[in-house]
Amino acid sequence: MASRPSDRTDALSATRESITVAFEAVDRSSVMSGRVGRGLVGAAVFVAGWWSLASTVPSYLLPTPAAVLGAFVTELTTPATFAFGGVELKLTELSAVLLQSLLHYVPGLLLGVGLGAPLGIALGYSTRLDEYFTPAVGLLRPIPPLAWMGFVIAWVGIGHAGAAVIVAIGSFWITLLGAHDGVRELPTEWIEVGESLGVRDHRTMVRKVVIPGVAPSVFTAVRTSLGRSWMIIVAAELFGAPGLGYRIIHTAQSLAMDVSMAYMLTLGLAYLATDALFQVAREVVAP
Amino acid sequence: MTEEAAFVALENVSKRYETGEGTIAALEEIDLSVPEGGFVSLVGPSGCGKTTLLRLVAGLESPSSGRVRVGGDVVTGPDPDRGLVFQSTTLYPWRTVAENVRFGLEVTDTSATVAERRVERLLSMVGLADRTDAYPSELSGGMRTRVGIARALALDPEVLLLDEPFSDLDVATRESLQEDLLGIWHELGKTVVLVTHTVGEAVRLSDSVVVFDGHGAISTVVDVDLDRPRDFDTDRFDPYVSAIRNTIRDGRRNDQSTDRRFEQHTTNPKH
Repeated sequence: MASRPSDRTDALSATRESITVAFEAVDRSSVMSGRVGRGLVGAAVFVAGWWSLASTVPSYLLPTPAAVLGAFVTELTTPATFAFGGVELKLTELSAVLLQSLLHYVPGLLLGVGLGAPLGIALGYSTRLDEYFTPAVGLLRPIPPLAWMGFVIAWVGIGHAGAAVIVAIGSFWITLLGAHDGVRELPTEWIEVGESLGVRDHRTMVRKVVIPGVAPSVFTAVRTSLGRSWMIIVAAELFGAPGLGYRIIHTAQSLAMDVSMAYMLTLGLAYLATDALFQVAREVVAP
Repeated sequence: MTEEAAFVALENVSKRYETGEGTIAALEEIDLSVPEGGFVSLVGPSGCGKTTLLRLVAGLESPSSGRVRVGGDVVTGPDPDRGLVFQSTTLYPWRTVAENVRFGLEVTDTSATVAERRVERLLSMVGLADRTDAYPSELSGGMRTRVGIARALALDPEVLLLDEPFSDLDVATRESLQEDLLGIWHELGKTVVLVTHTVGEAVRLSDSVVVFDGHGAISTVVDVDLDRPRDFDTDRFDPYVSAIRNTIRDGRRNDQSTDRRFEQHTTNPKH
């Protein structure tokens, strides 16, 4: 028997109210107030919810936080060898896998940003160039990086290079569009004042006005790429390039769900670390 | 003012824009001359072409017909001879106050020592000698406008063109900047063209006020025959302001009556 709508509304609002009261109580308590306190409370609620859910289902459907943490520690401490290009390093499972993914992540990002930023600035600055390239960009942009996988394997083969190229394609489009739109949105007065103050050629205008003016937009695009590239890596490594993504999928296929999730956790931590590093680097470059 | 030799001269200048719906005339056969060292303001309803005129003198746009001359030479593009001041938001935010003022000196390869001295002098002239290392975001609107003026003066232009430079500012700041602009004008003897939508500002500052109608033509040019410094509350100040306001208002009233006629005309077929 369904309850009358008004009853349901009452129950809903009562629930909402009690949640609000609980959070307000947390807010008021001196220990837990502030940003860090709320974050800790939120994380605790998340872990508690996860735990209670995991304890009601088999571990191959959802491992408990304890199991994931255990797997994380095991992977972090089990010795393993990292080999690349004749170099052999004695590491642990987790750090070796992370290093393998960084072999895709860092060169892919550098390549994508290195090509995307200058090309985006050029297209944004030159209306004529933009007109030439708009159809091609519009056609190619919506193609997901992974769709290129077949070609990338044919071009550079299966392995680190292929995964790096997939990452590069993803960050290339993000940076190209960020830089392009950033230049387009620069106040025209900046260019006009530049001209009235004696800038006579495009080279000087780009160097003195456009690049410093668009830098914040490019930084934002690079930051988006940092996050997006970690997502793309999982897919890019599906095709036999060892790394975090490869591990996440293959451990799950052998039903080692706790290990799979430990590597998912690593991916999340890797993103947080790169984002934090980037923010620091940005502060240093442009305070 | 036409008796003196024209330094900035517009000769039968028209400016038309092509749009999807036809041709829009921003300026229609304008003749105007400003003597060397003169101070002229352009006022009129928004969209009347006063900013277009300023942009033509700056060389940011070229006339559809007619000629713009500055110091005898035909204007073909922007030039450091004509310093440009926009509203307070156009400073380069990644450059400090001193670096903004130095911009023109940098791109024209002025020697570092000369540039240094010049930036220092200009910043003390606009009263910002103690804020040289501040970024624009750390300044008030009035300060930013001062930096904009100093930046435009860095290459020692013969003409200073200002496009509603004080419109973002509160009344007190605006009045003090008006005084400073007059001071700079007296000291440096530049020819000044100011676009403003404040009639009082135009009367207070200029030798003559050019009043535009709403159709890209000049209604009248009012020579302001008052001694400087001019106070807002003198008996002779207000008549100038009301006369100019009335001219603008008459122009607008004519617009409305044309609009009404147009409406009647277009609704007729229904009856």
